[in-house]
This record gives sequence, C-alpha cells and structure tokens, in this order.
Amino acid sequence: MKMLKSFGRRSFLKMASLATATTATSAFASNSVLRGATKDEIRNPYPGSKLIKTICTHCSVGCGVIAEVQNNVWVRQEVAHDHPISHGGHCCKGADMIDKVRGTNRLKYPTAKVNGKWARLDWDKAMSQISDQLIGIREKYGADAVQFLGSAKCSNEQAYYIRKFAAMFGTNNIDHQARI
Amino acid sequence: MANTWGYGAMTNHLGDMQNSKAIIIFGANPASNHPIAMQHILKAKEQNGAKIIVIDPRYTKTAAKSDIYCRIRTGTDIAFLYGMIRLIRDNNWYDKSFINDRVYGMEEIFKECEEYTPEHVEDITGCPKELLIQAATAFATAEPGCLIWNQGWTQHTVGSSNTRLGSILQLVLGNMGKPGGGTNILRGHDNVQGSTDMGCLSDTLPGYYGLAEGSWKYFASQWKVDYEWLKGRFKSKEMMEAKGFSLSLWMNGVLDEANAKNNAGTPLKALVCIGNGISTITQTHKVKEALDKLDLVVFIDPYVNDAAVITTRDNNLYLLPAASQVECSGTVVNTGRSAQWRSKVIEPLYEARPDEEILFDFAKRMGFYDEFTAGMGKGKDFTWPEDATDEIARSLKTVGFQGRTAARVKKHTENWHLFDTTSLKGRGPVSKEYYGLPWPCWTQEHPGSPVLYNINLPVSQGGMGFRTRFGTERNGVSLLAADGAAPVGSRIKGGYDEITSQNIENLSGIKLTDEEKKLVEGKNWKTDDSGILVRNALKAGLAPYGNARARTIVWGFRDEIPKHREPLHSFRQDLVKRYPAVADIENHYRTTVRYASEQNAQNWVADYPINIVSGRVVEHMGTGTETRASKYLAELSGEMYGELHPELAAKLGIRDGEMMWVYGTGEGKIKIKCKYSYRVDENSVFLPQNFSGVWSGESLESRYPAGTAPHSFGENSNQVTSYGYDQQTSCPETKCSLVRIERA
Repeated sequence: MKMLKSFGRRSFLKMASLATATTATSAFASNSVLRGATKDEIRNPYPGSKLIKTICTHCSVGCGVIAEVQNNVWVRQEVAHDHPISHGGHCCKGADMIDKVRGTNRLKYPTAKVNGKWARLDWDKAMSQISDQLIGIREKYGADAVQFLGSAKCSNEQAYYIRKFAAMFGTNNIDHQARI
Repeated sequence: MANTWGYGAMTNHLGDMQNSKAIIIFGANPASNHPIAMQHILKAKEQNGAKIIVIDPRYTKTAAKSDIYCRIRTGTDIAFLYGMIRLIRDNNWYDKSFINDRVYGMEEIFKECEEYTPEHVEDITGCPKELLIQAATAFATAEPGCLIWNQGWTQHTVGSSNTRLGSILQLVLGNMGKPGGGTNILRGHDNVQGSTDMGCLSDTLPGYYGLAEGSWKYFASQWKVDYEWLKGRFKSKEMMEAKGFSLSLWMNGVLDEANAKNNAGTPLKALVCIGNGISTITQTHKVKEALDKLDLVVFIDPYVNDAAVITTRDNNLYLLPAASQVECSGTVVNTGRSAQWRSKVIEPLYEARPDEEILFDFAKRMGFYDEFTAGMGKGKDFTWPEDATDEIARSLKTVGFQGRTAARVKKHTENWHLFDTTSLKGRGPVSKEYYGLPWPCWTQEHPGSPVLYNINLPVSQGGMGFRTRFGTERNGVSLLAADGAAPVGSRIKGGYDEITSQNIENLSGIKLTDEEKKLVEGKNWKTDDSGILVRNALKAGLAPYGNARARTIVWGFRDEIPKHREPLHSFRQDLVKRYPAVADIENHYRTTVRYASEQNAQNWVADYPINIVSGRVVEHMGTGTETRASKYLAELSGEMYGELHPELAAKLGIRDGEMMWVYGTGEGKIKIKCKYSYRVDENSVFLPQNFSGVWSGESLESRYPAGTAPHSFGENSNQVTSYGYDQQTSCPETKCSLVRIERA
C-alpha cells in the first residue's frame, strides 16, 4: 500500500500506540457510555432505511445504482448485480454517485453577482429580478434576443419542458449537448 | 445517420455487441469513456473470438485491448473508410443481395472510393497500408460485425460525412438490421439520446418533427394551445420556422452584430443556461467575451457552472441552485434507446429546486403557466413527472413513443433483474418485452425494438425495414425496398410508402368504419391521435413509417456523398488543394461560418506545427463541474496535463513533468504540465477536456462564491482548440486543431 506523504513511519507508530491506548481505555469504560454493537445493529446499521433503484447520472451506458436511504439521507450505495447492462459494474464515477449529491461544495442558495461581489438572494427575489429582465428584453428586442441552453443531463420530461418553454417564450434559440 | 436510413441513433444496443464476430472502434474510447460498455466488447472477444479493431490517432486504453490498431492522422477517417470500401469492393466481400434489395445509390460510393488505393490512404492517413488491409480483411470476412463510434467522429467540420460513411460501410457489408451488427454510436452524457429525442434543439421540435408550419400546428394541438397564440409569441412566422443558434455558435450572436440580420434583427442580450457546461465547446475565450457582453446571464445547476467564474462581469449574473438528477425522478434514455426510470433518491438538499419547478415559476411570472402545463391534460392537478411522461408518449409518434408510458417504464426498471443482457428480452411479468422499451415502441402492447431495421422479426415484435423518409422515387428509380425485403409477416412483400389515411386501407387490407375514417381524415402515422393508422398497420405487419431503401446520397447536403476534406487547420498543407474545405456558409444556425476562408487564411502549420488530440479521462465527465467537485475523483485525477511524445518533447526542450505553454490558432493559450507518453505520435499533443478553473496560467478559484469551489482545477483545453464547425450540424471541431508549444 502506498503511504501518504504526510504519514511517515514515525507518525504511523505514534498512531498505532494511540490506538492501543484507546482500545485499552475502552475496555475499562463504563458500560453505560460504550457498548458493543448488537448482531442486529451490525446486520442492519440503518434501521428503517429503504433501498431505491435508480440510474447512474454520468455517461450514456445507464448503469443501475441501488441507494440506501434513511430519513432523506443517502447513507449507502450498493451495486446492482442484477442490472441487465451493468451487472454490478461501475466505473469510478458511478461508484462515487453518493458523493455527487452529498458534496458540501454544492450551490446551496440563489446567488447573484452585484457590483463584482457574490450576494445571497432568496428565491422569490432572484426569480422576480430575472423574470422582469427577461420580459423587458423580450419587449425591447424581441424573444430572439434570448438564448436558452438545455441539457443532456436532464430527464426526458425536463428536456421536453425546456423546449416547450423556449417555444412559448417565442424563440428557437434553444440547444443542448447533442451537437457536442 | 437519420439522413441515411431514417433515424439517428445507436441501431443496436450494448449487450448486443456480445453477438458480434468483429468490432471496429473508430473515433471512440469506451475503455475510458464507457467502461461498463467495454465489458460487452471484451465478452465478444472472449466468447466469439471477435477481432477488435481500433482506429484512432491515439493509442488509447481501448486500443490496448485491440487485435489490430491503426493510428491515423486526425480528420482522415473518410479516406480510411473509402480505403476499406475499395478493398471490400475489389475482393467481392460486399453483400450483393442486401445492397440490391435495401440500398439506393451504392454505385456512387463504389465510384468515389476508386482513388483511395491502399498507398493513397497511407499517404493521407499516415497508417501503413498493410494495417488497412488487415483491418478491412478482418472486418469484412467476419459476420456479423459492428461499428462503434463516438465524438471522435462527430466533432469535425466533416463529422456528418464521417457518420454517414460509417453507416454506408455497414450497408456495404449487409451488417444492418442484425443482432451483432449495426452502427453503435456511444453517446456521451446520460440522457443525450433522450434530450435529443425531446427536441431540446434549435432545428426541430420534439421527436424530430422539424420547424415547418405543419409541425407547429401539430405541437400546438399536443400542447393544447392555440396555434395563433403560439405564433404570436414569435417575432414572425418566418422566425418561428427558422433554425435558432446552436450551442456551438450562440456566442457569435452576441459578439458579431452582423449576425443580427439572421436573428430577427437583434443581437443576443441574455443567456439562460440549464445544466450545460458551455466551456466544452471550442473557442472558450469567445464564450467569455460573449458572457461579459450580455445584459443578463443565468446559470441553473447543482454546482457552480465553471463559466460563471470564467466571465468577469460584475452584475446581472445569477446562479440558481438546481436539484441534482437523483433529487428528481423521470425517464432517462441510454445510448441503446432503452428508457429507464430514474427514481428520486432523496428530497433536494439545501435550497435546491428541480428544473421543472424553476420553469413553472418562470412561466407563472411571465404569464403563460396555464398554456405551459396544459399539454398534460390535467389542468392544475397534474402529477409530475408521470403526466409529462404520458404527454410525451402521446405526442412523439415519429419515434414510436406511444408505448413508453410512465407505468411501463417504471415496471421495467423495477424488474430489471428479469431481462436478458444480449437480447434484452424479459421473463415473467415482462415476458416478450425488451428492456426499457427501446424505441420505436409503437403501441402500449408493443415490446420495443432492440435492433433497428431488422426484417427477420414481425413489426409487432420489434421488426422493421428502413424508413420511407426521402420520397418513394428519385430520377425514375424507386426508393422503396425490393420485393422480398419486408419484415416477417408483412402483408406487403416489398417496399411501401409511409402510412396515411389515404393508403391505409389499400396497404393493410383492413376496411375502416365511417367513424374511423372521420377520425383519421387528413392524418398520417405521425399525426394521428386516434392510433388507428398505427394499429391497423401493425395488424398487417407493416411498419407505420413505410419500408424503403437506405440511401448513400443525401440530396441537399453540401456533400451529397461523403467526401474527404482536409481540416481547416490541416497538418498536411500539401493536401489542402486537392481536398479543400467547403465555401463559407452564410446563416449557418443564424451565423456566418468560415470554411475555405479560414483554411486559406494562412499556412497554419508553419506557425502551429503540432496537432491536438483531445479526449476524456475516466474520472471526469464533460467540463468536470460535477466530478471535480468530488473529493475522491479529484484525488484520482486532479491535474490538467498534455501528453507529448518524448521525441517531440526533446525537440522542444521540455522534460517530463515540466510546465509548457500551448498556443492555439485563435487567441487562447494554456500553461500545463508535460507528460511523456508514447500514446501519441511525434506530431501531436493529447489534451484531456475535463478541466476548468485555470485561465491562461491564472487560477480562478478565488472567483467562486464562498464554499462552492471544486476540489481540482486545470486549464480548459478549449481555450486552444481551433475555429471550425460541422458543415451540416455545426458540431464544434475539437479534434483537428493546431498549436504551438513552448517550455514555460
């Protein structure tokens, strides 16, 4: 196994002795604070969780993914051995599906650039500011002054409604990655 | 492809490749880009002894698994294909009866291939003629053989000719309409096929209905709105029926005011971008200029779009948090046309909202919410997404979506364990159906069509001939299939026109009642809401879209048969005269696009002597906006680099691991790490296309809103890819670019 740079032999030994100390302490700890997991808890660490069959979001192969969810938290990802295309196989991206959702660096709330600085907005304000401007541009220059771009990462239903939206806004300036 | 035989999609499916006896992978790298598809290819090799032939400018991870590897110069695919076809012709390896019964215009191809002798192909492509002969022999003598391609073919000025000639190669060998054969395009993103079927495109309405008046009237009726109202939303009827800007060209609508004349007299003033990594198109520095110039820019994504930090605009730049795909539910279509139900795993985190809610909200604020949602037919009480799925199933008759209701797609995904891999056939409660109801799926009883154009099955079980899409006759020659070449069980034993209210009784032999006649009056298989035309066609064993010949000639195209043309920025200046680019095109997706004038602007290779080969790495997708935001994937592949042959690097005086400047033929430049590699030839540099967040040596990390930066950054390769767009589709040329490299 490759050792991380910052994790040399000396610090490894330190860690090992610390671990021994912890184990020793645990053995004497009061039962009311720590106890061993029961067989049930080992077998089923997320009681009440459910398994949801879904589809990987990366490439066009469409691999099966089984998500284990407890209280709206995706807690574990299982491979789908019985999926007719992927047979439980995953590339590194598919294996990491769970982290795509849980990433802490997601865009969390509407944000806008105001005089060169990012500012948090609430949804209503963001939507009304954008809508007002789009309506204004449409009135002043016509609907063709707006370019819409949809996505090959949307579902069919979303993609169909994006196309419909552009049509009802009044333009064919709409495209997605099919051409890429 | 659609222009060759009716539909543009992968004709077979992934598991079907296990039935192949030989596989050509041409301009695709599934080992890196579709790793789970690769297992089916390797099984064909293990189980059938299928020869794997890889043709690629770069010795990819896929090439490492090949039996025959042919390295060609980028942009010379057509010369190589014609070289193969010539060998097939001269050795009598072509399928005479297939061509005779089901193809129009093969003589033209057999004439065009004449000049592509093995020696001439070697001169153009750089691939030794012995390898061309080995590849042609191995592929032509195995039956059936399948052909795989990917963006290595489409992202060229002649991309549409590449895909057409690949299709023609499979017609020459009679490999179409057979398990183990076909043209297996590996799509990029998870729902490229679906979003394309949905017409999220500037040149068509959903289902490839086009933009003509009849199509708008049809969709007005499907959307349950008044056609006149819809027309009134556009500046004019003319603009309503004119192709819009494409993803690769829109920035010219902002920057070059001369294009306003094609755009209802206005430059673009706003961009609303939903889930699209726009830095994967060429000329990123032009994208930046356009973003800086617009009045309003809106990005709707789960992660911050990298283009939002590429632009340096100070105001009117909005980022709206979209729910990720697994926080929504709905249909996705894989590369093999199978629909799967992507179930919602969790409710959207943070303040994220699903795309449809954002659209509904906009429609409300702009005053057309009622019209926007009317198509679902449930008033205000619709259920998303199921009612939308069913609306789509009702509307998209051209691609046979009628059978793909939400209930059926869900049933398939829930029961995925009951389907066979190589045939897609189901068992038990889904017996006699194919996984994901691959389109066309003509009715709610239809099983789907796993292999397109297979006449060895009845239409009701997924069989069909080629589509009657280009008329029934040309210059006195019939375009319909010959007698005997009809799907099993067909009442008509040869070719026939597409089904209309006029010919249904005659072709199907079924008399319509007066009431039925009234329902279908003036309709055809694409527009008949009653379903009577399609049902009766199926009863008589007829494909609703007809039974015709595939064609090699596409009238109206710039190149009616595929022609080799040297890239605009050609490494072989001496060949440009003989194989020049087309003339410049005015109003190509509302833009004037340079071809001949760009090619002849200067002797490009003198100043930019190194070829680009671009591609993906397995750890990342698209711009990497999502994958580079993952700690683990960023750890696995966290750095932009360029692969350089050690001999070339030595000439440039660059050591392995040192930094180098790469200058493009446009104004862009990038500073990246040199990685020695024998995967590329001595004239080329390989650039992965999944990085962003560094701009000509400057990190953009500090420009991200707090806490939203990804875990890895790199120079974006498209800062240095050259100008160039497909002469038909406007797909950007990312593959044939020239650069100059210097030690940093």
